[in-house]
Amino acid sequence: MNELRRAWLITLKDLRLEFRTGGRLVAMIAFVVLAGFLFAFALDRTAVAGRDVAAALLWLVMLFASTAGAGRIFDAEEEEGAFRHLLLTPVSRPAVFLGKTAANLVVIWLVTALAFISLTAFLDVRDQGSLAAHAAVLLPGTIGLAATGTFFGRMSRHSSLGDTLLPVLTFPLLVPVIYFGATSTARVFLERPWTEISGSVRLLWAFAVGSVFIGAALFRHLTDE
Amino acid sequence: MTLEGQRLVCSYGPTRALGGVDIAAGGGEIVAVVGPNGAGKTTLLRALSGERRPDQGEVLLDGSPVSGADPGWRGRVGLVSHRAGLYRKLTVAENLNFFAALHGVPKARDAVGPALETIGAATLANTRVEALSRGQSQRVALARSLLHDPDILFLDEPFTGLDPAAAAALESTLRARRAAGSVIVLVTHDLRRGLGLADRVVVLRRGHKVHDGETGGASAADLLRYFTVGDPS
Repeated sequence: MNELRRAWLITLKDLRLEFRTGGRLVAMIAFVVLAGFLFAFALDRTAVAGRDVAAALLWLVMLFASTAGAGRIFDAEEEEGAFRHLLLTPVSRPAVFLGKTAANLVVIWLVTALAFISLTAFLDVRDQGSLAAHAAVLLPGTIGLAATGTFFGRMSRHSSLGDTLLPVLTFPLLVPVIYFGATSTARVFLERPWTEISGSVRLLWAFAVGSVFIGAALFRHLTDE
Repeated sequence: MTLEGQRLVCSYGPTRALGGVDIAAGGGEIVAVVGPNGAGKTTLLRALSGERRPDQGEVLLDGSPVSGADPGWRGRVGLVSHRAGLYRKLTVAENLNFFAALHGVPKARDAVGPALETIGAATLANTRVEALSRGQSQRVALARSLLHDPDILFLDEPFTGLDPAAAAALESTLRARRAAGSVIVLVTHDLRRGLGLADRVVVLRRGHKVHDGETGGASAADLLRYFTVGDPS
């Protein structure tokens, strides 16, 4: 059987569990909405325009939400020991990684969309720029967040420090994503020409593709004893 | 077909769980592995199934080394562990369909019904696993292990939590698999049931094999003697 088909089966299974369980998704959604709400109070908008800070806040909210969610990606797998049975099927480890990353990506997309809506609403950002351009920036950024979160979410399972370890491992690695993502999104908000943005987006794609390939290649070291 | 573990050594940090165990199981044979807690039974099963790479020694099938890293090997193995290993929020049918599809079973959905009928659980198909009793979960786990028609079966305490009818159904299934030529390695604390079902019994103690013989004529009391007497190292 095609490994991509197996990865797809894992994605479907994870999403079905995600929407039935709801815990991780609800927690992430609550976080992004509350963060947007609190930022609206924390910012003195007579001194700072919402549009000037929305990009940075959006990417930080995405980072914190995805990292918090990453710690629970493997909860359903470990709950009854199902993961060891999944690993005993002929599925390859890269396919397991791709399947779980794709499911994580869908969740991050939902959270990102909600974060975008809540931040622009709470910060009163009326001129948002092109939504297509926002999507073009956010797509590679979220792929990088999903792949990194899935990989280190698994790694944190092996550590006695658990979820505490996740930000320590992921935040330094994700500095390029946050930097290029936030600056690109800021320029989209300011409706700057795409030529000023495309270079950063190419770097976001390079990070996304690199993190998916490296994660897939190394994942077996986190699963096989 | 012969499955062999040769000089298997497995350690968890400084603790040596298996200290060089040799074991063999032939096609059409049920081998029961028994021993006191901490004897290394589950570790032996994990090493044989390829779930855990032994620190030393190797697992051979018909004289050729096999490894859990080989998808072809994993496709030939069925495992029932003492935890059911099912997704609690999915229904029984969704669980089985998922695992059957990952195993590449043709028409995976069509394979689920007969598998459940085999273990007398056809009525549970649309029940979420979280609503099942321990015994029901164990039966579904058995059905999952048989979905891809493996010729090598590993069972770790499969009778735990089963009512007498389910235990009898499991025994009947294992006898049928034995008759079909499967290799079956069974870890159990239930000495009487193990002796009644197995062709051969291996006793482990403190990571060492202290007895390996045919079950004919042996009693549970005979085996218990190996649990405590002598220095296995």
